[in-house]
Amino acid sequence: MGPTENPGRERILARMRQALTVPSAKHWASGERKLIFSPINDPLERFQKECMENNTECLVTPDPKASAATIAGVLASLPPGEVFVQDSRQLREMASAWPYGHTFRWSLEGRPGEASQATITKAEALVAATGSVLVSAACGGRGASVVAPVHIVVAGIDQLVPNLESAFAHQRERGTISQNSFLCLITGSSRTADIEKVLVMGAHGPRRLVVVLSLHSE
Amino acid sequence: MSTAGEQFLRKAAEKSVDLEHRKLIRNAIDHYSGSVGRGRARFLDWEEARQRSHEIKWEAINHLDRYLLEFEQKVKDRGGHVFWAETSEDARKYIADLATRQSVRRVVKSKSMVTEEIHLNPALEKLGIEVFETDLGEFIVQLRNEPPYHIVTPAMHLTRSDIAALFKEKLGNIDTDDPPHLVAAARVALRKAFFSAEMGITGANFLVADSGMIALTSNEGNARLCSSIPRIHVAIAGIEKVIPRTEDLAVLWPVLATAGTGQPITCYNTLIGGPRGPNEIDGPEEFHVVLLDNGRSDLLADAEQREVLNCIRCGACLNVCPVYRTVGGHTYGTTYQGPIGSVLTPHLRGIKEFQHLSSASSLCGACTETCPVKIDLHHHLLHNRRNAVETRNRSRLERMGFKLWRWIMLGPQRFALLGAMARSGLRAINGLGLAGTVLDPARSWTKDRAPLRVPSKSFRALWQEQETTQGKEQDGAD
Amino acid sequence: MSGEKSKQIAMFIPCFVDQMSPEVGLDMARVLRRIGYYPEFRKEQTCCGQPGFNTGYWNEARPLAERFVHVFRSAEIVVCPSASCTTMVRNFYSELLADSALRAEAVELGRRVFEFSEFLIKVAAVTDVGAAFPHRVTYHDSCHGLRELHLKHEPRELLRYVRGIELVEMPHVEDCCGFGGTFATKFSMISAAMGDTKAGNAESSGAEYVTSTDPSCLMQIDGILRRRNSGMRIIHLASILAQTEAPGAPGNVASSHGMTP
Repeated sequence: MGPTENPGRERILARMRQALTVPSAKHWASGERKLIFSPINDPLERFQKECMENNTECLVTPDPKASAATIAGVLASLPPGEVFVQDSRQLREMASAWPYGHTFRWSLEGRPGEASQATITKAEALVAATGSVLVSAACGGRGASVVAPVHIVVAGIDQLVPNLESAFAHQRERGTISQNSFLCLITGSSRTADIEKVLVMGAHGPRRLVVVLSLHSE
Repeated sequence: MSTAGEQFLRKAAEKSVDLEHRKLIRNAIDHYSGSVGRGRARFLDWEEARQRSHEIKWEAINHLDRYLLEFEQKVKDRGGHVFWAETSEDARKYIADLATRQSVRRVVKSKSMVTEEIHLNPALEKLGIEVFETDLGEFIVQLRNEPPYHIVTPAMHLTRSDIAALFKEKLGNIDTDDPPHLVAAARVALRKAFFSAEMGITGANFLVADSGMIALTSNEGNARLCSSIPRIHVAIAGIEKVIPRTEDLAVLWPVLATAGTGQPITCYNTLIGGPRGPNEIDGPEEFHVVLLDNGRSDLLADAEQREVLNCIRCGACLNVCPVYRTVGGHTYGTTYQGPIGSVLTPHLRGIKEFQHLSSASSLCGACTETCPVKIDLHHHLLHNRRNAVETRNRSRLERMGFKLWRWIMLGPQRFALLGAMARSGLRAINGLGLAGTVLDPARSWTKDRAPLRVPSKSFRALWQEQETTQGKEQDGAD
Repeated sequence: MSGEKSKQIAMFIPCFVDQMSPEVGLDMARVLRRIGYYPEFRKEQTCCGQPGFNTGYWNEARPLAERFVHVFRSAEIVVCPSASCTTMVRNFYSELLADSALRAEAVELGRRVFEFSEFLIKVAAVTDVGAAFPHRVTYHDSCHGLRELHLKHEPRELLRYVRGIELVEMPHVEDCCGFGGTFATKFSMISAAMGDTKAGNAESSGAEYVTSTDPSCLMQIDGILRRRNSGMRIIHLASILAQTEAPGAPGNVASSHGMTP
């Protein structure tokens, strides 16, 4: 939008610059930085503990083949219907282990349908400190991790980082932030406490978040 | 007093004696207090987290122009549009024009205090656009046609049976007042809206300068749906929401969640930069960020109170405020309530009309103690009071009263004499049983409390007597 | 004797204590004498300026603050039976007097002004003042005491040593009583509702007495308790500490200096 279409822009900037000619006081002495969060000694243990508390089902498997079988088990517990899957080489390979009775819609075909029973995606990272999953647009798109009642995340142990700080640093290095229009740190299943502060699981987002985490790749 | 002030007094008087309301709010707050206590304990050093958050915001606010320009450039690089709105009207017009140009019939919205501030919904509805609030609390108050009660929990003042009755009337098919059942009913009702709306409107909890992304925090997932499915996404935020770096969120996300609800972190923390990318499967075709000034740059110019712009809208100060707990959110009659509202509103909407909010506080300091970005809130209430006096916005009677007070207190004999006279008068009034009546000069105290206990002698008189007695005894002993 | 710190104490008796709660000042003096100090009362004192300052009338409050500095500048130690008035001098004079020639002196003076319980614990280093008060008592944390002077355990420590006392905590003890200076009259119904909540919490502790470092809080709570026809009574911390085991001793609750409602 050019300046003629947004005349307020220059005026706002001018007012800010004028305002900031007077500094405001800094009420602290720059000293050494203290730790805000406890250091994490065992990320996997911490991740599992946090998942229990935030209502994420964390299923640890020995390898991707076992992960595929585990996912089959989760799918079998769902009513028949469409399952949306992120189009990736690994997930295509796993799909051969998955049962019939569900229609698989791959992300190449477009975003998940309104009536999808579940979505299956990979993740950019898992964060131990909060028991969170970091996804991006590259993980099947924006809708994949929010539209269906069940979201299954397929991950490997090498994706587990201790905390948010390391997650951001790592993703910045990999270019995830600059190459995606969307990232989301997902912690547990959707919820609300808007009615009498009573916690209800499953609001507009998924009711179930399942993380299938394999300890070895291949 | 201003009209807004008189309205405030009236509503406050009603709510102050409403014991049911007090109990309801007490229960909600106790729940919150428990969660927050546990939440803070998860930090190794919560005070350090507050300090770090304060420093991040200090950096952002004190270089606001620089970071906003960086943000704007990065958003545009990613294919988004940025509009700088000086006033509410500018913001409304931009969004309304966009909706008209794009033939928008339906809008889904996630919770945004800024959209309340600019009264966006009525402007869109006037154009024949259907606007759906998708945050459950906002959805509820929208159905009731009332403003949000609290900036984080909009329907805090309603019981489950209130909500069940409301849903039964407006949505049908409601069997119980069980919260999961009610939430499910809302989900079904709003699903249609999400998938048919042409435009999604959200706020932004943070504007991240170094990546040109907005950060959106939500538990329900509605903000995500608003920003994923409709083909146009508009995000509107105050200019003060900018933060320098993405890494700052590693501190701010947990801090916001802890202060806001006691959670370690909110369920969905989303970063959105631009419309859907060229290789992406889904996402809006257009992304617009509206940056709202509406008086914020004036507050920026007040170096003493500039830090008020640190606010991350967590709602913690409302929860700990004994005034808020007594009168509730609707009494304030403004978009922003509680301590932050009382500090901010005189700046955004004029001290003449809204100074009463800064006076309606006992300055207990609980807000300052709890603010996760360390705004010296109760101190700024005091500054607003001083500003109101200095801009001659107080009644003549009050100004004269304090001039008289100064004169009396500058003379100890005057003070002693007038004090003795006042006490005699009060004792006489009390003795005649007239305390609390229109003849009682202390009526502004005694109308809501028992009559004052008034001693017959002051401390200085009694002390003088003691000294004299001791002096006599010593003389006698000598 | 040489090198011993002076035991002269200047008493800062807040304006409303002077006029409305004189027993608080007298009881404080009693305790100070009992532990070996010599309290003096400078009768030139009037008011520290807080009511005007808190209502925004800084130009009117400023001359009172400057006067206060004059009155007390020669005092080595100043003790006050009110946390809010102590806070005014120690925490707010530097801002009120920011452009005054007396600013530096005011800041220095602020370091020598103490709230009564603070003085006993931190300066006199005394926890047992020989008091006796065989009643169930609950302590109310005044906002200024708690959040400005950071007093939490000092008053409770002193109360613990009172013979025969049973100390109980009320729920939500750190919640404001609702006084807030001119707020109490300008927004009386909100203030009274806050006081009502506080009174209810105090009563639920089962105590006979509620006490505090602040006579203003106690005046508020008293006004509400009596309005509620409560059996509970207020008493200032200094008055509890002034009580001894000797029956009919001056300062016992029975002698109430001619107070009538």
